[in-house]
Amino acid sequence: MTSGQKTTIEFNDHVVRQFMLAAVLWGAVGMLVGVLIATQLNFWQANLGQSWLSFGRLRPLHTNAVIFAFVGNMMFAGIYYSTQRLVKARLASDFLSALHFWGWQLIIVAAAITLPLGLTRGKEYAELIWPINIAVAVIWVVFGANFFWTLARRHEKSLYVAVWFYIATIVTVAMLYIVNHLSIPTSLLHSYPVFGGVQDGLVQWWYGHNAVAFFLTTPILGIMYYFLPKAAERPVYSYRLSVIHFWSLVFLYIWAGPHHLLNTALPNWLQLLGMTFSLMLWAPSWGGMLNGLLTLRGAWGKLRTDPVIKFFAAGVTFYGMATFEGPLLSIKAVNALGHYTDWIIGHVHAGALGWNGFMAAGMFYWLVPRLWNRPLHSTGLANLHFWLGLVGILLYVAAMWASGITQGLMLNATAENGTILKYPNFIETLNAIRPLMLLRVVGGTLYLGGFLLMAWNIWRSIAGARAVNGTMEVYVEPPAPADRLGLGGTFLNAPVVFSTLGLAAACVWLFTSGWLNLLGLVATILTVLLAIGHFESRGTRWGEWYDRLLINALPFTLLTFLSVVVGGLIQIIPMLTIDRRIQTEDRLAAVYTPLELAGRDIYVREGCYNCHSQMIRTLVPDVMRYGDYSRLGESLWDHPYQWGSKRSGPDLARIGGKYNHAWHYDHLRDPRSISTGSNMPAYTWLLEHATDYAALPAKIRVQRMLGVPFPSWSPAMIDTLARDQAKQIARELREQGRYTDPDREVVALTAYLQSLGKKWEATPR
Amino acid sequence: MNPVPPSPPEDPGIKVRPHTYDGIQEYDQRLPNWWLYTLYGTIAFAVIYWFAWQIARIIPSDGESVDAALARVAAAKMAGSIDVTDNTKFWEMSRNPVFVDAGAKTYSSLCSACHLASLRGKSENPAAVGPDLTDTAWIHGGLPAEVYATAAKGVLVKGMPAWEPVLGQKKTAEVVAFILSHHRPDEAATAETPK
Repeated sequence: MTSGQKTTIEFNDHVVRQFMLAAVLWGAVGMLVGVLIATQLNFWQANLGQSWLSFGRLRPLHTNAVIFAFVGNMMFAGIYYSTQRLVKARLASDFLSALHFWGWQLIIVAAAITLPLGLTRGKEYAELIWPINIAVAVIWVVFGANFFWTLARRHEKSLYVAVWFYIATIVTVAMLYIVNHLSIPTSLLHSYPVFGGVQDGLVQWWYGHNAVAFFLTTPILGIMYYFLPKAAERPVYSYRLSVIHFWSLVFLYIWAGPHHLLNTALPNWLQLLGMTFSLMLWAPSWGGMLNGLLTLRGAWGKLRTDPVIKFFAAGVTFYGMATFEGPLLSIKAVNALGHYTDWIIGHVHAGALGWNGFMAAGMFYWLVPRLWNRPLHSTGLANLHFWLGLVGILLYVAAMWASGITQGLMLNATAENGTILKYPNFIETLNAIRPLMLLRVVGGTLYLGGFLLMAWNIWRSIAGARAVNGTMEVYVEPPAPADRLGLGGTFLNAPVVFSTLGLAAACVWLFTSGWLNLLGLVATILTVLLAIGHFESRGTRWGEWYDRLLINALPFTLLTFLSVVVGGLIQIIPMLTIDRRIQTEDRLAAVYTPLELAGRDIYVREGCYNCHSQMIRTLVPDVMRYGDYSRLGESLWDHPYQWGSKRSGPDLARIGGKYNHAWHYDHLRDPRSISTGSNMPAYTWLLEHATDYAALPAKIRVQRMLGVPFPSWSPAMIDTLARDQAKQIARELREQGRYTDPDREVVALTAYLQSLGKKWEATPR
Repeated sequence: MNPVPPSPPEDPGIKVRPHTYDGIQEYDQRLPNWWLYTLYGTIAFAVIYWFAWQIARIIPSDGESVDAALARVAAAKMAGSIDVTDNTKFWEMSRNPVFVDAGAKTYSSLCSACHLASLRGKSENPAAVGPDLTDTAWIHGGLPAEVYATAAKGVLVKGMPAWEPVLGQKKTAEVVAFILSHHRPDEAATAETPK
């Protein structure tokens, strides 16, 4: 094997250092914004009366910064560092590496400017406007090209498990990001997503859930598989566990998106798939945790001395905790309690701070001495960081559990023999959790404090130090054509054939009725039995084939892509191809008036969906509190959908007509004048800014292109309609003692709010 | 304190994979049984759950079960209902401190935002959303049963929500009793046009 020519390669560790330091910087910024908006939930004045500091605009900045800026940069550093060493090749192109780094930072800066200005697409973790979307897609392709080009030039033929996870990350994120960001621009800064209503909701959570899966989980698992055994100096616990949990994870994860829409108007078959696939994900996720924790067997002594091992052990434990909580929350009955509450917020922070944040810290502390050839400035400070972070995250998560369960129980509580709500006023449930929301600020601040200690520690370690690039001696081997799998070798083998047959048979069972259904069941059972029999007798052949697959990067990538794509296709294609007008239950939405549409875009701009849902679930307490449960047809023409995912305030699906215009006017100007103890920001700027009527013709033209049945109004007609309705509302406001110019944004927003729950006509079921 | 505990003795049955990657070795241990059973158990659950919902349709759909539950709630409400057209009964309630106190509590949390804590609404502050509830001029009728109907069903065009579905009959009646405690049965009510 070592007959080839020997050469020394120098790794591109420059870009690793850049990404690592960027991750530290953006991590601090993202967490600081998090602490600020958590403070605003307790003290609404903390937005200083500025629109660009208000909760609805900064929460998207916080989530995007932590996901894409902090974890993104950390992931790129980890992937680039480990991949070069695992495949024994320098990154293929210094130019692409630099373009990747600077392009990504430019995107982050653009996001940090546009989001506070209210430039948004109105979909969670997909808020960035369309020009930035294109930049993200391009830079992601640059990343992919650089990565796969490096694989093509590798000197280590066989791909290690970390690289499998990196491959899954790159292809899946590209697919998810592009599909969920398909939109048609109405201007340079604004667009509407091509999907509407339930389609948009389904695509959004297919993306949103798998952003968690393939942006926050799979790359970090890959990083775990490299850095954890390196730091522990122990072999990985089980290779076959790696194989099983990798393939089950990438196949199952993609199906679980609908668990974000349980008990909503989403068709039941999708809810069932979302719930059951989430439960099936439990074991595959824990496979990753086991392989991490059990690799530490024999190295537990280092837990006392080495902060790197401390962070990794705690990070993997948090991963295990979060991936147990996830399936639990996906059970419809548990979800009925926990959804829309702080429980979910606690759950994601166990993942983001506990798993991502701690894995990042462990990796950074391990990398610094190796990238700058100088020991860490202070191990004591790193240990202090660990304990501050751990106490911080535990406080945070515990407070959010208590808060979410308390509020969930109060919202669902009934009195007088179940005939009325025990706490009819939403504000009572908010005031009950105020101390817990304050505790969360304390936890988050501690965590941020620890993170800043790390930044300081790293800075002291590297200041004045000389950066060093790793080198490795490799043997250049001539290519061996016998190793190539080819198309036949990729697909015509027992594991792939049995998986394909089994999946096809299972789909027949899932989606047909009558004798075909029975046939599907028999075929599924038969395939499983045959596969087991074949594996028992010819198991070594399966292993040999897999060893060969590992030296064929392209076939491996292809099979990974097919595994992830199938779940999305089965769930989304039926919802996209069906005529939208059939998928309405018993109600069909009417289109908005031009003024209402303008108001809706203000609602999206201000990020109202960050605290208010527009989805009354098929649950008795929801119906008692907010009115008749929402039907699919009611949000049919909503681009983007605004069902929401969190209720810091009440649901708004049927708010229209419940109060008069003066109520809304007062409430937007000063929420506490109506609702004592409310933590909603005062939207005083809506009383000052003029509604953008001029943008309406382009917006309505795009909506018509998307199939929304607006009449073919001329631009002048649209302008007249909007102004007339605004004058009408201003007149009614005047009668109620509120004086406003008709062209103020508050009038447009009031028009939209008053239309909610009113814009539909009954259709036969 | 023992500085570093010795590594556990290696099980000779555990194979180490021949290949190493940048110095990383891999064991090839069996999958833990409890892990496998968890995986199989969740798959079995998924199959049974799908069968019960989608194929056998043993479990009613979400819409059906919530409609049925709401019908039960409505039936319970009807069974426990009081006569809300009995003016005399309302006057009796309005002189009962337990009823009035309970009504005052509900009023201050839900009604005072528009009708103000003094109940004087627009008379105290013209910018208030709700009209005066202490004067003798009534927009929607001043008989106790009429006041109840207004509170229960609301006046949606004017921004008065329907409270009976939210509060239930008893609490709505308590609020009416609290309002009536500011009035006398023999006072002369006049009709008022809304301001």
